[in-house]
Amino acid sequence: MILPPFELHQPTTVDEAIELATQLRKDGVAFDWMAGGTDVLPNYKNRLNARDHVIALGRVDELTSIGKNSIGALARIEDVARNSRVQSDWPTIAKAASLISSPPLRNLGTVGGNLLLDTRCYYFNQSEFWRDSKGYCLKADGDVCLVVPQKETCYATYSGDLAPILLVLDVELEFRGSNGARRVPLRSFFEYDGIRRFEKAPDELLVRVFVPSTDKALRTDYLKLRARDTIEYPVMGVAMGLRTKGGTVADLRVAVTGSEAVPLYYGDLGLGGATVDEATADAVQAALLDRITCYRNVPFPPGYRKAMGGEFGRKLFLDLSGKA
Amino acid sequence: MRSDRHEKLHPHDDAVQRHGLIGKRIPLIDAQRKSTGQELYTDDLRPADCLVGKILRSPHSHAKIVSIDTRAAEAMPGVHAVLTGKEAPNSFGVLPVSQDETALAVDKVIFIGDGVAAVAADDEETALAALRLIRVEYEPLRAFLDFADSLEEVPEELRIHKKTVDGTNLHKQVRQEFGDVDGEFDRALWKKRMSFRFPGVQHAFTEPLITIAHYDADDRMTVWSAQQVPHYLHRALAKVLEMPMHKIRVIRKAVGGGFGGKSDPFPHEMVAALLSRKCRKPVRILFDREEVFYNNHGRHPSKIDVGLAIGKDKKVAALDIDALIDGGAWGSFGVVTTYYNGVLANGPYRVDNFRYRGRRIYSNRPASGAMRGHGAVNTRFAYEVLLDEAAFDLGLDPAQFRIDNALPAYTKTINEFRITTNGIVECIERACAMAGWKDKYGKMPFGRGIGIAGGFYISGSALPIHWDGIPQSTVHLKADFDGGITIHSLAAEIGQGSDTMLAQISADVLGVPIDQCRVYSDSTDTAPIDIGSYSSRVTFMAGNAVRRAAEEMRRLVIGGAADLTGYPPEVFVLEDAHAINATNREVRVPFVEALRRAMKDRGALQTTGCYSGPPPMGGQHKGAAAGLSPTYSFQAFVVELEVDLLTGKPKVHEVWAAHDCGRALNPLAVEAQIEGCVHMGLGQALCESFDYNKGNVENPNFLDYRMLSSTETPDIHAILVETYDPEGPFGAKECGEGPLLPALPAVANALHDAIGIRFYEMPITADKIWRALQKQKKAAAGSATQGAAK
Repeated sequence: MILPPFELHQPTTVDEAIELATQLRKDGVAFDWMAGGTDVLPNYKNRLNARDHVIALGRVDELTSIGKNSIGALARIEDVARNSRVQSDWPTIAKAASLISSPPLRNLGTVGGNLLLDTRCYYFNQSEFWRDSKGYCLKADGDVCLVVPQKETCYATYSGDLAPILLVLDVELEFRGSNGARRVPLRSFFEYDGIRRFEKAPDELLVRVFVPSTDKALRTDYLKLRARDTIEYPVMGVAMGLRTKGGTVADLRVAVTGSEAVPLYYGDLGLGGATVDEATADAVQAALLDRITCYRNVPFPPGYRKAMGGEFGRKLFLDLSGKA
Repeated sequence: MRSDRHEKLHPHDDAVQRHGLIGKRIPLIDAQRKSTGQELYTDDLRPADCLVGKILRSPHSHAKIVSIDTRAAEAMPGVHAVLTGKEAPNSFGVLPVSQDETALAVDKVIFIGDGVAAVAADDEETALAALRLIRVEYEPLRAFLDFADSLEEVPEELRIHKKTVDGTNLHKQVRQEFGDVDGEFDRALWKKRMSFRFPGVQHAFTEPLITIAHYDADDRMTVWSAQQVPHYLHRALAKVLEMPMHKIRVIRKAVGGGFGGKSDPFPHEMVAALLSRKCRKPVRILFDREEVFYNNHGRHPSKIDVGLAIGKDKKVAALDIDALIDGGAWGSFGVVTTYYNGVLANGPYRVDNFRYRGRRIYSNRPASGAMRGHGAVNTRFAYEVLLDEAAFDLGLDPAQFRIDNALPAYTKTINEFRITTNGIVECIERACAMAGWKDKYGKMPFGRGIGIAGGFYISGSALPIHWDGIPQSTVHLKADFDGGITIHSLAAEIGQGSDTMLAQISADVLGVPIDQCRVYSDSTDTAPIDIGSYSSRVTFMAGNAVRRAAEEMRRLVIGGAADLTGYPPEVFVLEDAHAINATNREVRVPFVEALRRAMKDRGALQTTGCYSGPPPMGGQHKGAAAGLSPTYSFQAFVVELEVDLLTGKPKVHEVWAAHDCGRALNPLAVEAQIEGCVHMGLGQALCESFDYNKGNVENPNFLDYRMLSSTETPDIHAILVETYDPEGPFGAKECGEGPLLPALPAVANALHDAIGIRFYEMPITADKIWRALQKQKKAAAGSATQGAAK
């Protein structure tokens, strides 16, 4: 399979990148940002919404740093997973990063790329020939969703591993664009469906993820469901943050990936103040089962993936509360 | 006679206890080239002016072709040739009875991905752009996408091929019955009938299919192709191109894996040749992975009903198999597969009452064909799982139960397979001993389990598929002035080590270092016919052929030494690159000097060795030839695994894989074959599945077609059992396919030991295990409540 033709831009600074993007936007030219390219390029080979221009960020090295309270959007996933500061301050970010794909892809992929990863679906991530034969789907060249027929909403599955723990930690995203910089809480960034996913101007570039300081007593973890222990995208992933006080839930934060078209933050599931015991763990499971919806568009049956969301929630609650 | 032959080849005999290279751990002779990237694969070739060929594929499962308009593509700059099916209507196929493929679809397309037209252009971009300009008008027909549909009687235009059974889309139906199956079921101590389901799986070799063809200025056709059987491709090309075979040359460069998936002649090979003949330039067709999945002939999706009856003596009393297999679009090896799904259940245990019905349908999906363990794998799973159930229900140790039922050595099965050497009992005993079976089986905590299964497999088919009396393997040896031994063979080196085997046997017989031998096994112009690398036949057949050629060469070289020294030839042996007088070891003639003397007045020494097949054998019943082999391999595996009770995810920790390979000519290579088999078998058991979304392959890529990664691959202990087969070269039998067979059922049986649940459907994925565990929990809770109510 060969790539479709496109014009490749390789800026070396953020300013240059924004300038390029602004100009392309002004000219009415469609373009894509590309960081590690591990998702964009396979999609381009499949002729999935390929654009005529690509701004590749591989030569921009100013966004790769990992600071006391932030991670550059172009930090390589493997670097994040192995970074000693990340490991000690945000161990679950390091863990989630270490569970992404395989070593070669972690060495290419970036934090920003994983966060803004395009959704996945059996009807979407296929070659042009395949999609032509089956009938094109809503997300690429078609009119209706093939997962939920007759729907004009895209039900593809969000497949980033970092989003759940970043939602739990309540991070902010910094974007830069022609109008300067803006910061958005991650919890209010993702919305909509598998096509729109979030509000971001085409010439805006995600530059940094700010991780606020959290109470040291907030314990976090992330569990990922995948068919094999390498390469795979999450087909269900649950991150949890839990702080208990006097045997009750003082702070509970739950977020899920690998279910719907965007990662979802479920807050405390209505269990703030609950007693830390098996019954509350069961309630976590029940609340997640109430909330999670999966569709048949990635590996494993939806019912199983949803059930695993509940099981993971229960296990995380027990583990993090020390009741396991 | 039986015992005579057995006596003749004993582990302590000279023929077995050699001082040469046989039995030594020898790195494959192409390993350095491959690991340093110097080896040449077909895709490394870049003939001057080579064009890129691309195939336009059908988006329909089943449709009539109303018209094809290629004018715009032909007119496009950079396009050198456009081809449609009508230009080459001669059919071909690997089996003489199933000549049902054509280079491109002629009147109708029969699966999504079927080739409709092809172009040769300057580059890939131009070729792809040209394909877009070809207008094809289709008239869709009803698609046949499951067993029931294909068994329906339908009007002629809905039949996928002209030759079908009773006006349906059934391709082949076979029946065999021996003894009194129904009676044994009536009298049985234990019996069970169960239906097993298997999705298709694919060979998933690393190197995609690739062919380069060049019709040159001398009107000769050269085809370089990634092939396991250059000879069958040679035949098919001659038929489709209507050219004499001597004007066609097939060349096999290094092959990046086959596993049965490169053993058919393929449409794209015909297309490359036809395009090249049309424009008289070399044309290269390289598939992307998705095209490989469409073109490939993987293991048949199957529904297999098996009934097992155990008699009052706690022995297998009757086996009743009904296999329904999905052949997809083409015949391929399917007639053989249809038989193998039944007949290869006649070992390694004794069965005196046996019934089999095999049916293979055509469907509008990519074809199925031969894959490692051809035809035997799925039925083996079903049989071994039921044996395990029987042992469990009867309170018998499943390992001992298998030993008690084992076929003896030197016997005949009920369907008249001639069994010679048989190491099944030793396989079971050694695998169990190493695994600590007695301390583990039934004794580990819930979630952890151990399971066993056996298997047996052919070591080459006794009868070739072309009945023209030509030996199945011929090897030519040439020894020239430089002392080098040149070996010509058409046995295809596909990574399994056949070149090394040929060199090793030659070097051993001639008493020279292995690097004094060079193997030329790549071209039909220079190599004598060998029917190729499939059916687990190469070591046995080409090995015998090369041994004979080398022994004849040894005779000639010793003749030279005798001439030089005046001693009679009988006293000489070849060792250490010398001809040595065994009665007076001071008399040593360097090999090269003896050779040069022998060349006097005749030039380079050339010898031929061949293997035609075993003595006539087998029964008179219909299909008696299917599964006949000069000898059989035997194997038994023990698998230990653990289930994550939260997610149901299975993790295989260790596999003890014992295999009777007759004689390990090269233990390093045998172990590698066993390890590869285990990996492939576990893949089918745990995660591999060729899925369909109606007529579309749902997962035609290596992200979604899941093979075991390194993280899922367990520790594998290869245990080599040697039974010294009297007819195998130095006692050797096959080792490349049989060791796949026990992997699947051993996993399922270990799962039962772990969690008390049986699985009858492949692959056994985490979600299926989790669901079954939920059901088990509910049932336990239900019976607990019932108990409490009482």
